[in-house]
Amino acid sequence: MLGHTGVMIRDGGPLDAVGGVTPRWVAQPESVEEIAVVMGACADGGLAVTPAGGRTKLGWAAPPERVDVLLDLSSMHDVLEHVAGDLVVRVQAGIPVTRLAEVLAKAGQALALDVPFPDATIGGTLAAPSPGPRAFRYGNARDLLIGVTVVLADGTIARAGGKVVKNVAGYDLGKLFTGSYGTLGVIAEATFRLHPIPADRRWLSFECEGWEDAGDLLRSQLEPSAVEIDHPAEGLSTVAALFEGPAAEQRALAARELFEGGDVHTEAPAWWGQPPGSPLHSLRCRVAPSVPDGISVRGSLATGVYLASGSTDLDAWRSALPDHARLVGLSGDLTGDRWGPIPSLPLMRRVKERFDPERRMSPGRLAGGL
Amino acid sequence: MTVFDRLDALFPPDRVITDPVRLRTYECDGLTYHRATPMVVVLPETTEEIAAVVRVCAEFGVPFVARGSGTGLSGGALPRSDGVLIVTSRMRRILSIDLDQRRAVVEPGVTNLAITEAVRDRGYYYAPDPSSQQICSIGGNVAENSGGAHCLKYGFTVNHVLALEIVTPEGEIIEISEDDFGYDLLGAFVGSEGTLGIATKITVRLMRAPESVTTLLAAFQTIEAGGQAVSAIIGAGIMPAAIEMMDALAIEAAEAAVACGYPAAAGAVLIVELDGPSSEVEAQLAEVIAICVGTGSFEQRVAASADERAKIWKGRKSAFAAVGRISPAYIVQDGVVPRTSLGEVLAGIDALQDEFGIRVANVFHAGDGNLHPLVLFDDTAPGEGERAEIVSGRILDLCILHGGSITGEHGVGVDKARYMPRMFTDDDLDTMQLLRCAFDPGGRSNPGKVFPTPRLCGEVPRVHKGSPGEIF
Amino acid sequence: MDPELIKDCVHCGFCLPTCPTYVLWGEEMDSPRGRIHLMAQYNEGAEMTPEMAGHFDACLGCMACVTACPSGVQYDKLIEHTRPVVEREHARTPRDRAVRALVFALFPYPRRLRLIKPFTRLNRRLAPFLDRVHPTLGALAELTPPRSRSRPLPPLVRARGPLRARVGLLTGCVQGAFFPDVNRATARVLALEGCDVVIPPGQGCCGALSLHSGYDAHRFARRTIETFEKAGVDTVVVNAAGCGSSMKDYADVLADDPGWQRRAECLKVRDLAEFLVELGPVAVRHPLPVTVAYHDACHLAHAQGVRSQPRELLDQIPELKVREIAESAICCGSAGTYNLFQPQPARELGERKAGRVEDTGADLLVSANPGCTMQITAAMRRMGRPVMPVAHTAQVLDASLRGLGAVR
Ligand SMILES: Cc1cc2nc3c(=O)[nH]c(=O)nc-3n(C[C@H](O)[C@H](O)[C@H](O)COP(=O)(O)OP(=O)(O)OC[C@H]3O[C@@H](n4cnc5c(N)ncnc54)[C@H](O)[C@@H]3O)c2cc1C
Ligand code: SF4
Ligand code: SF4
Repeated sequence: MLGHTGVMIRDGGPLDAVGGVTPRWVAQPESVEEIAVVMGACADGGLAVTPAGGRTKLGWAAPPERVDVLLDLSSMHDVLEHVAGDLVVRVQAGIPVTRLAEVLAKAGQALALDVPFPDATIGGTLAAPSPGPRAFRYGNARDLLIGVTVVLADGTIARAGGKVVKNVAGYDLGKLFTGSYGTLGVIAEATFRLHPIPADRRWLSFECEGWEDAGDLLRSQLEPSAVEIDHPAEGLSTVAALFEGPAAEQRALAARELFEGGDVHTEAPAWWGQPPGSPLHSLRCRVAPSVPDGISVRGSLATGVYLASGSTDLDAWRSALPDHARLVGLSGDLTGDRWGPIPSLPLMRRVKERFDPERRMSPGRLAGGL
Repeated sequence: MTVFDRLDALFPPDRVITDPVRLRTYECDGLTYHRATPMVVVLPETTEEIAAVVRVCAEFGVPFVARGSGTGLSGGALPRSDGVLIVTSRMRRILSIDLDQRRAVVEPGVTNLAITEAVRDRGYYYAPDPSSQQICSIGGNVAENSGGAHCLKYGFTVNHVLALEIVTPEGEIIEISEDDFGYDLLGAFVGSEGTLGIATKITVRLMRAPESVTTLLAAFQTIEAGGQAVSAIIGAGIMPAAIEMMDALAIEAAEAAVACGYPAAAGAVLIVELDGPSSEVEAQLAEVIAICVGTGSFEQRVAASADERAKIWKGRKSAFAAVGRISPAYIVQDGVVPRTSLGEVLAGIDALQDEFGIRVANVFHAGDGNLHPLVLFDDTAPGEGERAEIVSGRILDLCILHGGSITGEHGVGVDKARYMPRMFTDDDLDTMQLLRCAFDPGGRSNPGKVFPTPRLCGEVPRVHKGSPGEIF
Repeated sequence: MDPELIKDCVHCGFCLPTCPTYVLWGEEMDSPRGRIHLMAQYNEGAEMTPEMAGHFDACLGCMACVTACPSGVQYDKLIEHTRPVVEREHARTPRDRAVRALVFALFPYPRRLRLIKPFTRLNRRLAPFLDRVHPTLGALAELTPPRSRSRPLPPLVRARGPLRARVGLLTGCVQGAFFPDVNRATARVLALEGCDVVIPPGQGCCGALSLHSGYDAHRFARRTIETFEKAGVDTVVVNAAGCGSSMKDYADVLADDPGWQRRAECLKVRDLAEFLVELGPVAVRHPLPVTVAYHDACHLAHAQGVRSQPRELLDQIPELKVREIAESAICCGSAGTYNLFQPQPARELGERKAGRVEDTGADLLVSANPGCTMQITAAMRRMGRPVMPVAHTAQVLDASLRGLGAVR
């Protein structure tokens, strides 16, 4: 126990490790205020903190230089406000995405994010976003986020955005914190815009040789919500497209005509939105990428954002990709430079220096020792 | 050496403006209430020129303000009398268009509409469509995170910008992109109102034009009935491309300006646009019409042709400027409320009209609760301007009270900086300013905007290397 | 510069993208919004400096901003009030003054214009030399069209078939001198559509050139009204866009004299296309297998709001295809005397327009203003491009009504 504040504290163990670094303590706050108290105490003691949610991605990105306190947000799992008529929900950061989905489904609504990890929490999904098929239609986590409460390294509580879909008052700290991997502060609460669950859904899938086959679909006006490829390490690729809306079936059938083949299903293919394996790499490439032997790739032909898996020399693969492409090692063992070029790194560094001048928030988890 | 000498050396004479009469034409943007004559105006044509000017500013400790087309409605481009105004209106080249990758790279002075016009023939378009789209610059859109009628379905500028080249307030040229692994600097820069630097190249997403677009004009006796229709449409799980509403006074103005021919007796009109594959649109249109009728709409018109569609939209798109025809002066307000509070807030605005004897015309993006009350007044009548100003402020209070925002798309600028503390705590604002300090430690990029009080950034604090204490 | 009219401007900027000078230079002071701001500054006591005058002089008076403005700002009135102030308060250089005097001594007088015509071939060769003496002289020489036979029109052309209307026809100075064929075609079309066409001899300039440049136009206006009153017509059909727009303004020009103002209000002025659409077609349209690019003359499209009518008339002609020109709202740079006084921007605009016209791939460029077609073909010639044949809307209709199978 942390003195009179009542925040749950226990000793850290190997199961609490962040990228192999075991924290000395684990704190389990239950409110924004409790987070602030813990952060304030850590500031006083110069302790390094890593926030954690469902712990599905604690092994992602680089291991932190040090972790004194693992800030476990799993006790902050409430839906704070869901106004169905506004299609908006405000939640605590520790709520599992699957649980949120259950609550929203009762009102016929959904947070249009595809999160393949059943335990993943909202906070983790923001801090360490992974791409999902429907990002093509609905955007990524950052596009659906409309408000955020964060707690900084010194315990300051700050809010940005709000609970209305449209809002340009002040800087969008929520976006700044997406992708921050716990290096800027703690995401404590988040507010999202929701979408109605579509009346109907159909998937069209077909096997193909190459990457180019979906071009016609993207040039068509059939408005797919997602166009994904599953490129296994060996054998033929599969392309699948999702259609949503009352006329989903009609459109899927029209799309099938475009390709003179393929099957229309009411369920997603098994691989849909799933990471292809481990070690995991993030690949962004706007043209058909060259893929080394033994590597499988899954992701969106529409947005050019993929997850890849299999052992490879990242430097070698990078040099075979077009200049604009970005390849980052997410998890697992890797050979070569994990990050590749990040042109805006100098600016990110300055942001880190201002938000966490003492480098106590998950130091070193991102490129350039952020 | 003065700033002037340095600028003269950088630019040919016709691109540095120092003549006082000329300078004054830049004294305000679309919000004419705030005015300041810039010390000097420059008209750069390249990123390098902008970087050079910004470095001169850094060298002399002089503030600078970026300006696109000067249509901003929050005084964001209000110049500094001790600063340089950097105008992008000569940087209006579309640098590349790649339809296979559905993106275009443009200079900041390119107008919003020019992008769509460049690709329309080939079946693509740029989605965010502010009413000012024929003239507002894409750089200004980025700075303001501009929205438009069709943002209900497609999102705002921030959802359609894929990468930026920026000149930082220190004068470096840096690329920020959605592809960068780490902090979403792109998302933070969009909507920063010119306070984090100047966008010099913008990569935007192009969208495939929908197969079918249908526009419905539904007339209601009262604005409340219209509001109910909006809620019912959203509640039915339909996501129209746009839902716009205008009240009787706004209709009167639009009629006077562009003879849009909306139903005469209407207390409110709703414009609902559905787009997408024909099969979806047809299914949804029937449902939307049924909902409108069910909530009391007495007339529905479905635009049968592109011309008819344009005509329906013309009334809406010209509504702001058209109010000039029915009132000598007016304030365009921009506030947001949760959709479910629309009715209450509109009633509140009604009460304000009665209390202060000031007319308010309402035009709004009903789908996302973004209100644009137009507060009408006669600037020659003593005291009316002040009363209008009060009403305008009270409307924002109403928005905040209902959990909304003081601006949905026009930005904070200089105009609403003083309202920021009503929406945010000091800690919130200080934290936002940490970002500002990271980009602009010298506070030279568009100072005095967005934040009521600037934060002194000071040196970057030194890294604290103390050993962790035993506190638990 | 009426402060009330200035106040109508809400500074929204919607007019900027259609303003030719803003399109060229991207500067606030050379935009409608900026010019209105300058007018406000003048009213507040700012001096008419050479800089300020320069921005007013650079305005083409194309009135695209009037069409674009959703707030109904009457920029046409504003600039008309401003021009005389510029003339009064801005000291031009002696060379500029001499050249302006020459133009105003020449253009409003059809007879004087006809006198210089025989030299026009020579003029074109002299253009480079004249350009060096004064850019305006170069522009003047470049623009003078080739000579054409001029036979005077009869004072009355009788309607074919049942009489439907009786109208006067304004022959115009530039039109009458350089493009007599257009007037002849106009008279024939009107007659074929059942109109008695009265063409009062000795009609002079309608005052357009002076009005658009800040010179006194009262005299021209009064004389023109008188001429048509004497001819006993209450509708005057005008085929030159610039003339039509200024004649429609007579009541304003003569506002300080109520008697004359009333007389002006009694005279109905119609553009040819506007008149023909109101009248409705009766004559048979014969096919014309040609693709035309229709150019909106500013003084027709913006000043008179006549945009759909000429297109409608062209569309009625079997086998004729109409192509739209990109940026159709932007002026070609001709604008009355503009290409004479501001030759550099006028040239740039001309070339921009010529490019857009070429892009249409049309066989024939059609417009209702001789100034525009002169300007655009001059630009094509200067750019070393094949010069597209040009015709007035009246000539195309004439060819169709008479079943010629081709224009001219
Ligand atoms: C009639 C009317 C209707 C409008 N309708 C809408 C609407 O529907 N939706 C909407 O969102 N807005 C609307 N607006 C507001 C305005 O058009 C937008 O805010 C627009 O984005 C401003 O663009 P601009 O080029 O005029 O920018 P400016 O007014 O010149 O500048 C706006 C801000 O952007 C900054 N800036 C400009 N260029 C850059 C750059 N390259 N890099 C960094 N900062 C820059 C400036 O410093 C300033 O803070 C409307 C305005 C008017 C007058
Ligand atoms: S009349 Fe033409 S040139 Fe003059 S300000 Fe208006 S649009 Fe510009
Ligand atoms: S469009 Fe009209 S109101 Fe707007 S700036 Fe131009 S003249 Fe002024």
